[in-house]
Amino acid sequence: MLQPITVLTPTGTLGYGFGAKALERGMSLKPSVIAVDAGSTDPGPHYLGSGETLVSRISMKKELTQLIEAGRDANIPLIVGSAGGAGSKAHVDWTVGIVREIVRERNLKLKLAWIYADIPKERAKACIRAGEVKDFEAGHDLTEKDIDETVTLVAQMGHEPICEALDKGAHVIIAGRACDDSTIAAFPIWKGGDLGLAIHMGKILECGAFSAEPFAMDVMLGTLDNSGFVLEPGSLERRASVKSVAAHSLYEREHPYIHGGPGHELDLAACKFTSVGDRQVRVEGARAVVTPDYYIKLEGARLMGYRSVSIAGVRCPTMIARIEELLDQARRNAIDYFAPAELKVGFHVYGRDGVMQRLEPQRRELAHELGLVIDVVADNMELAHAACHQISGALLHWHYPGQYNTSGNLAFPYSPSEIDAGPTYEFSAYHLMKVKSATELFPVHLETL
Amino acid sequence: MAQRTQPLSELADIIRSKNAGPFRITFDILFSDPDRYRHVRDSGAVSKGTVAAAYGISPSEITSFFQVDMANAIKVTLRRPRGQGSFGESDIYGCQQHVPLLRLTVPVA
Repeated sequence: MLQPITVLTPTGTLGYGFGAKALERGMSLKPSVIAVDAGSTDPGPHYLGSGETLVSRISMKKELTQLIEAGRDANIPLIVGSAGGAGSKAHVDWTVGIVREIVRERNLKLKLAWIYADIPKERAKACIRAGEVKDFEAGHDLTEKDIDETVTLVAQMGHEPICEALDKGAHVIIAGRACDDSTIAAFPIWKGGDLGLAIHMGKILECGAFSAEPFAMDVMLGTLDNSGFVLEPGSLERRASVKSVAAHSLYEREHPYIHGGPGHELDLAACKFTSVGDRQVRVEGARAVVTPDYYIKLEGARLMGYRSVSIAGVRCPTMIARIEELLDQARRNAIDYFAPAELKVGFHVYGRDGVMQRLEPQRRELAHELGLVIDVVADNMELAHAACHQISGALLHWHYPGQYNTSGNLAFPYSPSEIDAGPTYEFSAYHLMKVKSATELFPVHLETL
Repeated sequence: MAQRTQPLSELADIIRSKNAGPFRITFDILFSDPDRYRHVRDSGAVSKGTVAAAYGISPSEITSFFQVDMANAIKVTLRRPRGQGSFGESDIYGCQQHVPLLRLTVPVA
């Protein structure tokens, strides 16, 4: 018989906050581990590509301090997955640096582990040549050229490298890119918990109190036993309900029942959710199958170019009426002007279809006022800036028939009218790669502080 | 006599869109009342065809469609027109793409 194991997840993304009282109450329920996810691909490819972190150092240090102290006071480990946002080496090193600083400032003693998730490019290329890489959802096969162009390549680790760090007695574990569910599930699996139940619990807990009502970035607890798990929010002002938990099971994933993860496939078709008292929900029925081959999901980003944007409002009805043709002409003129240098020129037209683009069924119902974002990406910053300014200037002073106002067509909120956003990235890999073992590409490093 | 209809927004409690990885947008339609869920499910008002028509796309761009009885939910997923965050992106989290579903018409029970 497994002793029930309680996991405390303080928030949906470390650095986005949680209630101090909710943490205090959660800790009073004697969890065995604090586990939290710090990133994903959700905010886009920029963090993976640039090495910039998703949340500020101020937020990360504040929240890590609270969690390290709570973990040390209770003598339980703290596990952080997908450190820094994308979980690359730069992100792991940044987070480890903050942990060292906290330990020094607070006079703590602890064993720190960190786990990189960067995949050597040569290894990925060898796997491509060996036919051991397959598409996940990108819609194309991964090529060696894609890998050459990739600036940062990571993969989602499963629970196994985290369990290895637990074997080695780590009190604080900073993991690079990890499957969100596995970060939360690692400790209960390490203690002998059922793989399917633990992963399913991890899947719900990884968003913190988003599975509670009212939902929020806040503390959530899950207690795993032999046949299921019980969920409860840390804050007494929230409750878990069958509706909130079942709804959350569908969130931000395509398939409602079958979820592939590192080395396993989870089947939720037989799940049952039942209320326990007013604030808890018991979940049973998840089953996991260990897959014959162990695949990890690669995530890569490449430099798309350098971006300059200009934001402007358009209020004159004569300009709004012919906005499409003017933007098309301005784009063509700029491309001709700067040829043979290549430009990407796009427009977001808010008040027409700025949000939904070609999915917008109401794009013919133009608003009385349009918000225009001119978006230019080029091989270097100077060129992107030059082209963006050329386009905003051309549209500002464009003459067209029926124009009442000859002094300018764009209302700029800013001077300068262009904002240089610097290097910009796109996803270059989102593919599955076969590995020999769950731990071979995720080395565990230890330091006694 | 024409059959009376009502918009889906009057029957469902949650109608939402969200990125599901960088290449998919998934829509969840959730009902708190199981009878309303079953009525909508069985009416055929929400199908690959009606969703594709609401967005002006081909049904082949819909990668999956599920009626999830255990959650009183209907789940539809689209292929994104481009990878999340690539040039031309307009909604990184895909969280503002749900509006045409609010107006899907459902025959009154």
